[in-house]
This record gives sequence, C-alpha cells and structure tokens, in this order.
Amino acid sequence: MKRIGITTTVPQEVLIAAGYKVIDLNNIFVTSNNYMEYIDIAEKDGFPKSMCAWIKGLYGVCIKEGIDEVVGVVEGDCSNTRALVEVLKLKGIKIYPFAYPNSHKLEDVKKSLDDFMDMFNVKKSDVEDVRNRLNKVREFLIEVDNLTVDGYATGFENHLYLVSSSDFNGDYLEFENMLKEKIKKIKDRNKKDYPIRLAYIGVPPMMGDIYDFVESIGAKIVYNEVQREFSFPRFKNNKDIYEQYYDYTYPYDIEFRLQEIKRQIKEREIDGVIHYTQAFCYRGIEDIIVKSKLDVPVINIEGDKLNELDARTKLRLEAFVDMLKDRRGWRR
Amino acid sequence: MEKVRILGIDLGSREVKIVFFENGRIVRKNKISTMRFYRDYCIKDNGLIIDKEKLDIGEFDVGISTGYGRNNINIKDFTPINEVKAHIYGALFQTGLNDFILLDLGGQDVKVVRVEKGVMTDIELNDKCAASCGRYLENMANILEVDLDYMTRFYKEPVHLNSTCAVFSESELIGKIAEGVPIENLCAGVNYSLYKRLSPMLTRFKSNRIVLSGGASLNSALIEYLKNDYNEVIILEDAQFNGAIGCCYYGERMGLK
Repeated sequence: MKRIGITTTVPQEVLIAAGYKVIDLNNIFVTSNNYMEYIDIAEKDGFPKSMCAWIKGLYGVCIKEGIDEVVGVVEGDCSNTRALVEVLKLKGIKIYPFAYPNSHKLEDVKKSLDDFMDMFNVKKSDVEDVRNRLNKVREFLIEVDNLTVDGYATGFENHLYLVSSSDFNGDYLEFENMLKEKIKKIKDRNKKDYPIRLAYIGVPPMMGDIYDFVESIGAKIVYNEVQREFSFPRFKNNKDIYEQYYDYTYPYDIEFRLQEIKRQIKEREIDGVIHYTQAFCYRGIEDIIVKSKLDVPVINIEGDKLNELDARTKLRLEAFVDMLKDRRGWRR
Repeated sequence: MEKVRILGIDLGSREVKIVFFENGRIVRKNKISTMRFYRDYCIKDNGLIIDKEKLDIGEFDVGISTGYGRNNINIKDFTPINEVKAHIYGALFQTGLNDFILLDLGGQDVKVVRVEKGVMTDIELNDKCAASCGRYLENMANILEVDLDYMTRFYKEPVHLNSTCAVFSESELIGKIAEGVPIENLCAGVNYSLYKRLSPMLTRFKSNRIVLSGGASLNSALIEYLKNDYNEVIILEDAQFNGAIGCCYYGERMGLK
C-alpha cells in the first residue's frame, strides 16, 4: 500500500479513497523515543534554532523514514508549514497542497475539496463512502470523549485516541477494533471524579505527561479542543464531506474556534483553561484574544523541544489548580 | 446577622503581622518582632499555641496563618495557607483588581506573581540568595549609618555597584565611601543595585500594571525605577499587612466558621 504523509488533519477520506495509507507525521515524531533525532536532522539541514519544534520534527520524520509523498496544508495552517513543504519539495518529495480557505465560505471549501479529489483522481461518491465508514469509527471517539467527561476515561486517553484520529494510526479498521477493546476496559473501571475540571486548548502538547500531572494534583483535563476537532465530533450535523471540513474550527479564524470552546466550557463545567502554545508559533499571539474572550481563568503554557513538563511549569500549574480549588470552595 | 471574627497571622522573617477581620472588614492590626512573638507570645505544647491573653487579641472564630517557615510551624487551631496565595488574596482585597503583576519584597525573599482573572498564572521566586531582599537594604543602610527610610528616598545619579553578591556589595560600597562619593549617590546606588537584581526576575512579567507589597512598597526609589517599566505602579495601603489580610480574606471567602 502506498504511504502518504500529512502535516496536520486533512480530508483523509480522499486519500483513503485513492488507496493510500495515511501517516500523520506529527504522531510519529512526538511518540518516538528518539524524537530529538528528528529535530537534529532538521537543524543539521539548516532549519533555524528559533523555529517551531513540530516543523523540524515533521521534516526529520520525512527524511529519516523515507516518506516520498506528503500533503502539505498551505492555507489555514502556519506559514512555517508552507516553507516546510517547499524544502521537502527541494529534497525530491512529492507535495500535494491542500487549503482550508481563509474566507471560510462553504463554496470555497467545496472548491478546495474538489481540487483535492481531482488531484488524486477520485470521485465524490467514493469519498462519501469512505466518509460514512470512518464516521462509524468517529462514533467510538465520541464515546471516549463522553466517558472522559463522565469520569471513566483519563485525560491522557482522551488526548491519545482523539489526536490519533487525524490518521487513525494508518489503519482505521485496526484502530476501530482497538477502540472497542479500550472502551470496554474503560467502562469496567470505577468512576473517578476530580475537584477541578480543566480544558486544554491549542495544538496538542509536546509533553504528554501534562495529563497525568494535573490529575496528580486533583484536576482533570476533560476537554481537549484541537484533538477533539481532529475527530470531527459534529459529523452527524454534516450532510457531506464539504460541510464536514467547513464545520471544523482549528484552521479557520479564532472567533469561530472560540464559539465551540465557549460551548464546551459551559457544557463540561470547566473551572479553568490551559492554553498551550508552541514556542515561536504565531498562535502565541492569539493568547491575547483567548484570555480576553473567555470568562474562566486561562493559564498559558508554552512548550518547545522538551517532551516532559519542567519543574517551573509544574509549579505554575500547581498554583493555578490550587487557586481554582479555592474558587470552587468560595461561599461568599 | 452572625458576626464572624477572623484572625490572620503572617509569620514573617522579621515581623509577625496580625490582622483582625470582622464581617469582611479590617478592625484591628498589630505587628510584633518575630523574635518576641515566639519568645513571649507562644507556648510550646505539642506544637505551637498562641497565648491569646498576652497577645490581647480577643476572641476569634477562625484563624488562618501564613508566612516564612509556615511548613515548619503549625500553630494550633490555625489553618495554614501558602504564603504566595495569601499575598495574592491580600492584593485582591486591597485593590479590588483581578489582573496585575504582584511584586512582594520580603525580608528574605522576593516573589513576583502574575494574576489574571483573580488567579495566579505565573510565578517567580528568588532562591539561594538574599541579595535582592529587604535584609540587603538593611545591611547597606547600617554601613552608610543612615535610616532605611532615609536611604530609600534617593534614586537620582546612583553610584554603580556591580557585585551580584550581597556580601561583596558591602565592600564595594565601602570603597565608594572611601572615594568620597556623596551620601545621596551612595544611597541611590544601593537602591539601584536592588532594582538591577530584581529586573531579571521581572522580564517574564511585562505588563502595564504592577502592585507592590511588602518592603517594595516603602522604597520610593524602587517605585521610581519601576515607573519606567510599568504604566501603573500601585502601592498597597496596608502593604506590610498584606499577607495577614490575605489570610483573613481567604477565611472570609471560604466561609470558614
């Protein structure tokens, strides 16, 4: 089976219909024990020190793992990705561009998807068939998400399974079976409630230990914003692939993203928000908007290359959670 | 309405500050040197008990304590809270603001905190060294043989003191005295050297508004220097009592009885 790398969530239904095994390069990078090696490859080839670790990691994965075809998101993601795909092209990797139109108009999303389908020579009906099949897997992801809110699945499990839906680990059938098994085990557990309920918003973290850490101090992440978006939890409201990729918040404007975030904060009774940003990323600037538009306390955590929480960040999170607990206890 | 009397105690390294709250308002406050507090006002009996009669604080329903050494000393019948939190709550109560940077300069420690929507989101504490604290200023004032209050008035044309170490700074200062530098410039030099040591801690805490607590609020030279970095420098009215006020505020909001 032909492999194709992706730099972020793209309409994988099209790629699967075209007979590809989809590989989210981010997942290979961040789950590797030698993740620093990927960054190292990029820096040796000239990527600046002051540059997002994800971009360098994606580059390193492509080179080291011999990926020869990549879908690059050239609109709706960052300009670093644009430059990344240009360098990949220079290295002889075949690039397929995909755009989430800035206009965020359904007709423009439709055009973008039609171009994408043409590029891979697939029919809309075939894509819809794949979409309908994948939506069955997405149902299980909604279940994992609900189990997290209800106190059964952990924050990390929520993160892991939802983030994996960008490529379903390259095999949606196997992924589906694995999910069924996991859900069974999760349901068998005793329910565990935490005094504080947190939201995690922003790109997925470099440091996966953040989930267990906050649980160790009496708080639980019950909402992973972008990871959940990867799983397309509102697919039932979308009549076709066009609507599905239109009704996706992450690559569009911050206001649209915030509408969904606000809804979830209310529904999930969130006490505080962790806004994760990556060092050198433009989304760090959006923290200004996030903080001014959300009513609940927001703590901004910035990650760079390290894949575990540093002592200072732990201290900050501890203090934040401690004061949120006080607020829960306020009687006057 | 039932009257709730809350006693907040801040066990500082130099002084113990006591504040008495009644129905959410400060009704009394008192300061005792730390040495005297432990020597004359405490009874040791399986822990520490405050001698209420000697202290003449009257009856109270709820006691909250914080401060230097909080982890070592648990006062009987008092709920201990983290000192950073106590200072934040004190500042929330005194300013009515929810978003600010808080700089608390203690006798032996410095805290810089970012407060957003009433919750701490970032923090920096000094460690290992007292060169940026109140005690440093006291030592330097002793060498100059002037009052601390007098010394902290001067900020113009500071003589440059470059040592990072508080002890080396003393000999550097003596050298400047020997050179015949006027007292005003020597005083300003000490104040400026304190500011320079605080600056690296403040770089992560750029903001438009800073609230000063503890000794920082009494240092008019430091206030002048900080005015260059922050549009708004707010000095707490009861800066010395801020930690103890924070204890009371906490007890009040938690509805402790």
